[in-house]
Amino acid sequence: MSSTARRRKLPEDRLDALFHALSDRTRRALVTRLVQGPAMITELAKPFAMSLPAVSRHIRVLEDSGLVAREVDGRVHRCSLNAAPLESIQDWLRHYRHFWQHNLEALARHVEKP
Amino acid sequence: MITLVVRRKISAAPERLFDAWTRPEELQKWWGPRGVICVAAQVDLRVGGLYRIANQFPDGKVIWITGEFEIIERPSRLAYTWKLESQAGPVERVMVTFKGSGTNTEVVVRHERIAEVLVRERHEQGWRARLSGLAAYAETGL
Repeated sequence: MSSTARRRKLPEDRLDALFHALSDRTRRALVTRLVQGPAMITELAKPFAMSLPAVSRHIRVLEDSGLVAREVDGRVHRCSLNAAPLESIQDWLRHYRHFWQHNLEALARHVEKP
Repeated sequence: MITLVVRRKISAAPERLFDAWTRPEELQKWWGPRGVICVAAQVDLRVGGLYRIANQFPDGKVIWITGEFEIIERPSRLAYTWKLESQAGPVERVMVTFKGSGTNTEVVVRHERIAEVLVRERHEQGWRARLSGLAAYAETGL
């Protein structure tokens, strides 16, 4: 059995939350930063020309999607990336790609007919 | 998922604190924020064993917290699951470490798998109060 089949398929509302989280370029940039390692929220906010509350709201959306985990220690809030949901997106894309490739092959056969 | 970390330095030996945390008769003496009394505690202290702690609130209502032990390493580390017995709710997890030498211990509680900010805030208040109660109990030897 492939590792894809073993992985549990995400329910639709979780996929909704995931794609919503990634639908915003600031949130995508935050995910890219967290790939490099965990960071405090104040640190994450630095590159962006927006208020700390605005960045916090973006991080909340990422948390709600399961992509980001938060550790609260006193006043220090540290975020880290949870990669598992990204694998679920890859599964979804892979299924779509097989469909697309199958159609591409059918198209190729059709146009190459003498 | 949110992980909450709460720390407290207590003037007592790690062994003393570990035992206070795991013995039912001692738990009842310090557990609970102000106004909440621990009226009963059951502890099956082994990996896979269960615990049940009864919290009685000022209005008389009793809520049971229960869970299963995952790690038991006296005196430095304890880990167990945590959920409200009455609800088919989420299962959280608590890891407590007792780091110290002599009679100076830093108690660090990591409360993991918290689903919401409001729950995290509630747990934070609860743990600060409990650790305060533990300090008072262990430091004065009552």
